[in-house]
This record gives sequence, structure tokens and C-alpha cells, in this order.
Amino acid sequence: MTPDLRVPPQSPDTGAAPPPAGEGLRAERVSRSADGRLVLDGVSLAPAPGSTVGLLGPNGSGKSTLLRLLAGVLAPASGVVTLDGDPLAGLSRRDVARRLAVVEQQADTQVDLTVRDVVRLGRIPHRRAWAPASARDEEAVREALERTGLTGRAGQSWHTLSGGERQRVQIARALAQEPRELLLDEPTNHLDIQHQLDLLHLVTNLSVTTVIALHDLNLAAGYCDELVVLREGRVVARGAPREVLTEELIAEVYRVRATVTHPDGRPHVRFLGTVG
Amino acid sequence: MTAPTTVPTVSGAGAARPARRVLFAVAGLALLCGSVAVAITIGPAAIRVGDVWSVVMAHLGWGTADVSPVRDGIVWELRLPRTLLAAVCGAGLAVCGAVMQSLLRNPLADPFVLGVSSGASTGAVVVVVLGVGGGAVSLSAGAFVGAVLSFGLVLLLSQTLGGSTDRVVLSGVAAMQLFSALTSFVVMTSGDAETTRGVLFWLLGSLGGAGWTDVWICLSVLVLALVVCLGHARTLDAFAFGQDAAAALGVSVARTRIVLLCVTALLTAALVAAAGAIGFVGLVLPHAARALAGPGHARLLPVTALAGAVFLVWVDTLARTVLDPQEVPVGVVTSLIGVPAFVLVLYRTRRTR
Repeated sequence: MTPDLRVPPQSPDTGAAPPPAGEGLRAERVSRSADGRLVLDGVSLAPAPGSTVGLLGPNGSGKSTLLRLLAGVLAPASGVVTLDGDPLAGLSRRDVARRLAVVEQQADTQVDLTVRDVVRLGRIPHRRAWAPASARDEEAVREALERTGLTGRAGQSWHTLSGGERQRVQIARALAQEPRELLLDEPTNHLDIQHQLDLLHLVTNLSVTTVIALHDLNLAAGYCDELVVLREGRVVARGAPREVLTEELIAEVYRVRATVTHPDGRPHVRFLGTVG
Repeated sequence: MTAPTTVPTVSGAGAARPARRVLFAVAGLALLCGSVAVAITIGPAAIRVGDVWSVVMAHLGWGTADVSPVRDGIVWELRLPRTLLAAVCGAGLAVCGAVMQSLLRNPLADPFVLGVSSGASTGAVVVVVLGVGGGAVSLSAGAFVGAVLSFGLVLLLSQTLGGSTDRVVLSGVAAMQLFSALTSFVVMTSGDAETTRGVLFWLLGSLGGAGWTDVWICLSVLVLALVVCLGHARTLDAFAFGQDAAAALGVSVARTRIVLLCVTALLTAALVAAAGAIGFVGLVLPHAARALAGPGHARLLPVTALAGAVFLVWVDTLARTVLDPQEVPVGVVTSLIGVPAFVLVLYRTRRTR
């Protein structure tokens, strides 16, 4: 850690009003190391219900690890992730999957699945072994397809879809889980600009709490209610995009010179070059 | 033989229509029973389907058979157990292949390709030939230990080598070579007169020595394995996008892996103990079954089992009649069919990347 970090700590508890304790998904001072290196160091996160929280930070800053801890796929070495006040570790994987859905950076399969097959996977946590799909399951799949504009392509093979369409199908699958929290790990990587905007528009208009790791600062500024910036496993800034995305912070965290303007109220970042 | 790449499955077919499903199940079972009955009639001694029927009925206690005791013996003691064992082995190996392919996300996974069958052979041979365990350990138990050891070795090797599809298969090839060599070594050095035949049996597989005990043991293990795997059908579906995705869908990945890998190792071991290492059935049949039943395991696994059973019944019939009166080991025929299929699957995975 560089001790002379000039970014003001931005008192970690400003920003969107945190939900009352014991509600929704919360991470409290979670840490995790890999190969003897501390990847996450005492990070707390409490997204307001229904809001979209953007996770920013350079590669290796701990965004993906934080998402995996929030999803319960990894366990924190210290600290705790809670869902409505209950530690994730104490809940069954099934119960967690009924509340919380994950969309990965890039999902692929060698199985020959149709769009509807993939969306149906989202019903797995809701179904018992041996039981056939209920009307409720079919309804959830139908709604998820409709919500994502995929109703007409339900019979199409996954392997014939473009990258953007695949991510859209993954989001439909996540919606079929009927989650209250949605976690997305850089879902716009590998997508062209139109599909990036499409996807973020879709995600941010859902009535679920969303935590989304992003690389593109302007997309984050345009679509997120709250931003959390990580660097070397620690939160260095959090709050509304306008407060967080400053020229100083970008220089410190990304080692990049930039100008930040506010043409329509939200920050717009223009990169000038790397810091000398 | 291979799953179509673009044909969309009939939408909604997975959910409703239990009547159609029952119809398919009945048709499949009828096909299997018909195949078994017809396969029994084929051979040097001329026997009609009606004879088979009356012999079976007589032994089950309904009516009396009006066929000679010799024919009765041929049907009841030789051809029927052999054909049933072929059906059970075909079903079991195909199910093992389907489960391994889904669990390891590897279209080339199969008990033979991954060296599990070879490990089971070695385990069985060590018990039989070297007398390890002094009679307390049965042949099947030895096969199970061998199967688990070789499977563990393959998973460990492929993990350290990077875990990609090719690495898993290459690790399997290494394990297969190692355990085949060990089997040959043990059998050869035991210095028995029957050695050469013994090596062929364990390395290539043969249904020639099938008896009713083999049929019952393998059938019970198959039923057990099918019940466990069908109970995990949805869990297996969840592995389509990898183990992290499965975990995010509420699957306990580590527990599922251990349970299903143990069950497939157990089934492989039981089959190998009875019939030796018959290759490629587990590789080919799941792909054919996917083309018929689609990717959902609740339908795929029963269809795979039926397809495997019918397939091996006919392949074994071919193996024992094509060079009559000499018999070709059934594993030779499955390999002759399996290797081109292996290449085809390999080719298709190359294209989809």
C-alpha cells in the first residue's frame, strides 16, 4: 500500500443511504487472500434496495473477488456477508440462489441448448429433485424472456447467438431465478457499444438491487446510482458518481490523466494519457 | 450419431405432455425387449423367438417349455444371461459417459477414455491373479478401488496440467496406458496357462463368460446408479455453464462431484469386473441420445441407458457371429465403431471454439 494516497477517504458512509441493518445483501469488513496476497482488505458494502451500485477499479483491485464473496461462491477469510441479516455461510446454497442471481463476464457451454433451455436453468433452485416444472416455473421463464425481449428467439440455439445476445440470455436466466439481488461481473466486456448500452439500460431498469463491476468509467457514471472504487483490495472512494469520479481520483487509482466535465449533470471522463 | 448444431428443440417439449413421455418409455422398453429376444435367437443353434419366450416363461414358473433340454440350456444358461449382461453393460457405460461428460464439461469423457475402466481392470486382476486380500476382497471390490484410484489420478493430473478439455483427455490416455500396462504385467508374470486370454478379456472386454450372478450384481448397481443420477438430473443441467455457474444456481458443487464421480466409478467397476474394459460405449451413445432427447438430463439419462443397452446387445451379437465359430472380443467391435466417433466429436469441438 502506498501510504501517501492523496485521495480523500470520502468518509466511507456517505453516498446512498444504507439500508437499515438486517435488510438485503450486505458485506461487512470482508477480507480474502489468494496465494498469500491480500486481495480484499476489510471491504464493506450495503447497496440500497433497488439501487444500482457500480464497482470500479483497475484489474486485480478485487472487484471479481468481492462479487464472488457476495454471491457466496467464495467464503470470506474474515468479515461476514449477510442476506437479510443472516450470514451467507449459514444458508443453504439453494436458498441463496433463490434470492440472488449472478451473471458472469462471459459464459459459454458445449451443450447444445436453446435460449429457453438456458433461461430454464434459472428455475433449478426453485425446483425439487424428481418434480416436473410447475406452472409457476413456466410463468417465470415466460416473463424473463419477455422482459429481455427474447420471446421470439426462445427456440434459437445458444451457439448461434452473438456475444451481446448471449449476455441478454444470461440476464433472462438470472431473472428467472426471481432474485432480489443481481450481481454482474463486467457483463459488457466483449460487447460492442450498442449492446453495452442496451444491456446496462436493461439491467438498471430492473426492480432488483444490482451490484455491477465495470471497467468503463463513463458507462458507470451514466447508469449507476452509487459507485464504489477499489484499489488493491480496499475501498478508496464511494458515493454518487458526481462525487466519486474526479480527475484526482482517476489519476490516483488508474494512473491516468483525465478531464472530467458534467455536460448533463453526470460526470463525463475524457482520458488524456498515462500519469508520467 | 452426433447432436445437431442448430436445429432448435421443439419448444415446451421438456415441460408437459406426460402421455407422450410414457409412450416413448414404453416404445423404448419394447425395442430393448425385442432386441434381446431376437439377439438370443441368432447363433449356431437355431432357436425361434417363440422358443425364447416359452423358455423364459417356463423358468419364471408360467407354463412348461416344449423345447429340448439342450435348447433350454442354451437359452437360459448361455444366451439369455449374456444378452442381458450386454444390455446392462451398454446401459451402464453409456450413463457413466453421459454423467462424466456433463460433470467434467468434456464431450470426450467416457470411462474407457479417462482410464477408469483400465484402472478397474487392474484392480480386478490384482485381486484375482495375485490373490490380494486373501479371498476376503472380492473381484468387484478390487475393481472399485482400481477405478477410484485411476479416476483420482486423472482428475489430479488434469488439474495440475490446467484442466482444459484436451488436458483431461490426455491425462486419461496416460492413465489408460499406465493401468493397461500394469494389467498386462500382472497377468503375464503370474505365469498361468490362460494368460493370453486373460489379458485380452481385461483389456478388450468380453461378454463370453457371463452368468446370472454377473447379471444380478451389475443390474442392481445399474439401478442404484440410475436412481442417484436421475435424482441429480437438474443438478447436472446446472453444470452446463461450468461449476461457478452451477454454484450460483444453488448446487453444492463439491458434494455433487464426489457423489456422482463415486457412483460412476462404482458402476464402471461392477461392469468391468463382469465384462472387462469395453471401450467407447460411454463416449458414443450419450451424443446419439442427446440428438434424440435434447440436453435435459431428466430425459437424457433414461434415453442414454436404453440406447446403450440396445446398442451393446446388437454389437455383442455381431461380435459372436461375424467370424463364426470364432468369437471377436466385443471391445474390438466397440472400438472399431468408437474411434471414428471419437474423431468426429473431437472435430466438432474444434469447430465450436
